[in-house]
Amino acid sequence: MSDKNIFRTKFDVATIVLIPACIGINYIGKLFAAALKLPLWLDSIGTCIGACLGGPVIGGICGAANNLIYGLTTGDSITLIYALTSLFIGFFVGIMARCGFMKSFGKAILTSLVAAAAAIVVSTPLNIIFWGGQTGNVWGDAVFAAAQAASLPLWLSSLADEIIVDVPDKIITLILVYIILKALPDKLTTLYEEGDRIERLD
Amino acid sequence: MAFIEIENLKYRYPKAERLALDGISLSIEKGSFVGIIGRNGAGKSTLASAIIGLVPQFYKGAYGGKVSVAGMDAATVPVGELSRKVGLIFQNPFNQLSGAKDNVYEETCFGMQNFGIEPDEMRRRADETLKMLGIYDFRDRNPFDLSGGQMQRVAIASILVLHPEVIILDEPTSQLDPAGSDEVFKAVERLTEEGITVIMIEQKIDKIAEYSDRMILLDDGKLIADGTPDEVLSREGLDAYGIIPPASVRISKALGYKDGQGFYPATADKAVKLLSGKIQFKQHIEDDKTTQSSERISVQNLSFHYHEGLDILHDFSLSLDGRTTAIIGQNGAGKTTLAKLLKGLLKPSEGKILLDGNDISSSTAASLAGSIGYVFQNPDDQIFKPKVIDEVMFGPLNIGMNDEEAKESAMEALSMVNLASASERNPYDLDLHERKLVALASVIAMDPDVIILDEPTIAQDDSGKQLIQKIIRGLRDNDKLVISILHDMDLVAASFERVIAMASGTIIADGTPREVFSNEDVLRKAGLELPHITMLAKKLSSGSVVLSDEEFLGLVGS
Amino acid sequence: MKSISLYRDNGTWLCRVHPFTKLMYIASAILVPLLIGSLWAYAVFIALDVIILLSGKSLKRARGLVIFSLTIILTIFIIRGLFDEDNITPLFSIGPAVFYVEGLMKALHTGCVIINMLLSFSILVLTSKPEDIADEMERHGFSPRFSYVISSVFSIIPQMMSTMSTITDAQKSRGMETEGSLSKRMKAFIPLITPVVTSSLINTRERAIALEVRGFSSAKKRTFLNPWKKHRGDAAMTIIMLITVIATAIWRLATWLL
Ligand SMILES: Nc1ncnc2c1ncn2[C@@H]1O[C@H](COP(=O)(O)OP(=O)(O)OP(=O)(O)O)[C@@H](O)[C@H]1O
Ligand SMILES: Nc1ncnc2c1ncn2[C@@H]1O[C@H](COP(=O)(O)OP(=O)(O)OP(=O)(O)O)[C@@H](O)[C@H]1O
Ligand SMILES: [Mg+2]
Ligand SMILES: [Mg+2]
Repeated sequence: MSDKNIFRTKFDVATIVLIPACIGINYIGKLFAAALKLPLWLDSIGTCIGACLGGPVIGGICGAANNLIYGLTTGDSITLIYALTSLFIGFFVGIMARCGFMKSFGKAILTSLVAAAAAIVVSTPLNIIFWGGQTGNVWGDAVFAAAQAASLPLWLSSLADEIIVDVPDKIITLILVYIILKALPDKLTTLYEEGDRIERLD
Repeated sequence: MAFIEIENLKYRYPKAERLALDGISLSIEKGSFVGIIGRNGAGKSTLASAIIGLVPQFYKGAYGGKVSVAGMDAATVPVGELSRKVGLIFQNPFNQLSGAKDNVYEETCFGMQNFGIEPDEMRRRADETLKMLGIYDFRDRNPFDLSGGQMQRVAIASILVLHPEVIILDEPTSQLDPAGSDEVFKAVERLTEEGITVIMIEQKIDKIAEYSDRMILLDDGKLIADGTPDEVLSREGLDAYGIIPPASVRISKALGYKDGQGFYPATADKAVKLLSGKIQFKQHIEDDKTTQSSERISVQNLSFHYHEGLDILHDFSLSLDGRTTAIIGQNGAGKTTLAKLLKGLLKPSEGKILLDGNDISSSTAASLAGSIGYVFQNPDDQIFKPKVIDEVMFGPLNIGMNDEEAKESAMEALSMVNLASASERNPYDLDLHERKLVALASVIAMDPDVIILDEPTIAQDDSGKQLIQKIIRGLRDNDKLVISILHDMDLVAASFERVIAMASGTIIADGTPREVFSNEDVLRKAGLELPHITMLAKKLSSGSVVLSDEEFLGLVGS
Repeated sequence: MKSISLYRDNGTWLCRVHPFTKLMYIASAILVPLLIGSLWAYAVFIALDVIILLSGKSLKRARGLVIFSLTIILTIFIIRGLFDEDNITPLFSIGPAVFYVEGLMKALHTGCVIINMLLSFSILVLTSKPEDIADEMERHGFSPRFSYVISSVFSIIPQMMSTMSTITDAQKSRGMETEGSLSKRMKAFIPLITPVVTSSLINTRERAIALEVRGFSSAKKRTFLNPWKKHRGDAAMTIIMLITVIATAIWRLATWLL
């Protein structure tokens, strides 16, 4: 990527079709997690792929659109609130990817920590406002209850709840994303990598 | 200036080393029907993409020269604008859907909506086109649930309704039954009468020679020949370009008859004009003696439906022995469905299937993997590994070979399809015809006793078709049962011992190719036609069903 | 292929109400009680939600949407009731666990917010077709790309489901056991997700080309196959709700300022 600007974004047809695909992938991930009864969300695989291919802005759009669309149409209106979280996950993963932090496995793990941090910072206040601090994940909420029983402040208990849920989730998610990106054919990736330059052969 | 003007066009895909198009110049007038032929990888599809501006605007890469369509520069005028003048139907019907519509009708209207066509006009055009292509009854169906040929018809309809001034069809009939593909050829020929320019890329040389009034031969990105079909197909050394000339040319050439201009006739009708009276068929061909071997597969009273109450197969019975068997028949007849049932991918609602005497209708597909292999109609449905070699090794590993054995048999299978050098590549970076071969190799590598091929010749050029014939023969020699679904009658005549014709879920003919091809009623009913050589002989009143050039020439004598 | 949308056209008036009107209703159902701030306001709106759903013959299906949130609401009651920092007045105890009034009241409040939200959204979700919402947005000036993304999500998910079954077919037919015991099926799940995702990404490329050649990026104003059939009273309803929201907001401001 010769272009210096990490926020550079194309809005061509290839990018437009990427967004619904990513949103669909998020859904499939969530479905897998539910079917396998995993204590993870796995609902941001698509968002992260969108971010890696299209950059931070597309990542953010994938994230926000994901929650808005599902919130408004599948009856799971609670997810609407977390559009903000998804937006930031997509945005930061996009920045990391553009800075080369998806190139190796180790770096991908680092990216996953950034994604988890983004998720935690944005979600915790949302959890406190809407749910009194819980996340709705069994394991996380058990920690939350324990922290509350020990009279820790609400924000701290809620933070612990989020960390327990989001760190493993984002690590697994980005490992999957890393594997998937490696498996993509050049025919597809060049579509997003190539600048707008067309070399002349005259 | 001509309607389409191409000057010294050069193009290279991103990350590629070779030029896909190398110095092409041509001009095409309004209302002409241009056929483009050439081997796999010659650059035909790339040229089509260049006319509508996808090359270079969508694919990027390196571009030189100039393409103009109706005065617009295809390199700079956005594809969205060019697509008002130019309609492109591309090669793989399985990925031409907009992905935003869940029924055939709305899918067909999608493009018209983008062009701002009024609703009444939209409905009028959609009704007309869907009826013409025989898919009006499927208008409320989900386009993703259609058979291969039905889907291809939807793809054609969605471009035809746009009434473009130039229409480019990239192997538009690869999955259509012969009658359906004839309808498509006729329909676009009618368009040329209204002044619409038709550019058609085809591997069915006999067919394209019949309809086009100009033919362009590409090879390795370069323009090799440009002229009337007679002229281009009479050239010496066509096999160097991977082209086998039509039956009419082959026969006239062998018999040494040229027309007034010194060309061989590229269509059967012209050949008849040239040859009739000059040749005499000597004797009749004896009926083939087929050796019926012991039964391998027995299908008994099978019924199957996708939707309750709509049986695709009903009380269907069939017995298969060791003979290589071709299953032919109209689109939607239930051929793929039958294949999937044999393979255990679909479960019959009634009846049973016996393999070497054992009931397999309740076995899982996985447990049958070692004995029955199935190559999918759409290779993209079958390929799921990011590396060719892993893809081909997947099956062998699953049926209990160790790493080394699996690798060995995978490499052997890949060499059989000439793709050993691609073993480390991502299958999706290969072209459609190569993916189809990878899918074939991945089944052969498992060395099953029964191999079912679902339209193996899609996207293959003549040398690819010959390769597949060779593989089929090789399998037969190793005592494998080969069952193949085909729309290519020439191949059926050349390589199969038994032919089963299906229509609407029932068998309407079953016998040797000669028996089946002598029964014209049946052929018409199943949307089929005669192999080209058979047709030519018949038009010259041969009196018997001729199945190959050798037979033809043997009968005529010298 | 089954759509993931919960919309069913059951022929009632509610299905013909314009989606924007329903959106306006959601906005007022959320904003008005929030501005008023007391439980009775939530009670009123929850009752209203129920009445609307009932008359649109959709209450039964809405119940399904609410039920899955009940467990989490229950845990909120438990955790708040037991541990909330403002807890002073004990209400009752189960064994050693003492539940307090303050915490339970807070939990009740949260519960009402959630249920009201779920119910009011379910009116839109159950009775408006996503593709119609997308079309309507486009007609009102949103970009066609925007509505493409929405309608495409709805067709892409069933497609991915069928990709999943084709890939399973491909794996089965080459000897991978995917049927049978739970552990067998679990094992089969893992090698499934990467190919499903990759193949749907790969499809995007072809789809982009398909859209290009059908004039998707054409500058012309688009037309629609099915015009929206107007329902009487849409405008009136919207205006009444708008006035209610504004009036509540003014009242809220006034009570703060005075
Ligand atoms: N998207 C792409 N990226 C890189 N190379 C490509 C791409 N598409 C095609 N090619 C290469 O360009 C060359 C010309 O391909 P093209 O698809 O135009 O051939 P074709 O004549 O249409 O062949 P076929 O009969 O197989 O359809 C081939 O070598 C092919 O591998
Ligand atoms: N998944 C599906 N769901 C519902 N109907 C289907 C499905 N697949 C196929 N059909 C229908 O079943 C019938 C038989 O389809 P099948 O794919 O077996 O046809 P075919 O003989 O292979 O045709 P083609 O030559 O076009 O490939 C068709 O009418 C088709 O529309
Ligand atoms: Mg091609
Ligand atoms: Mg088929």
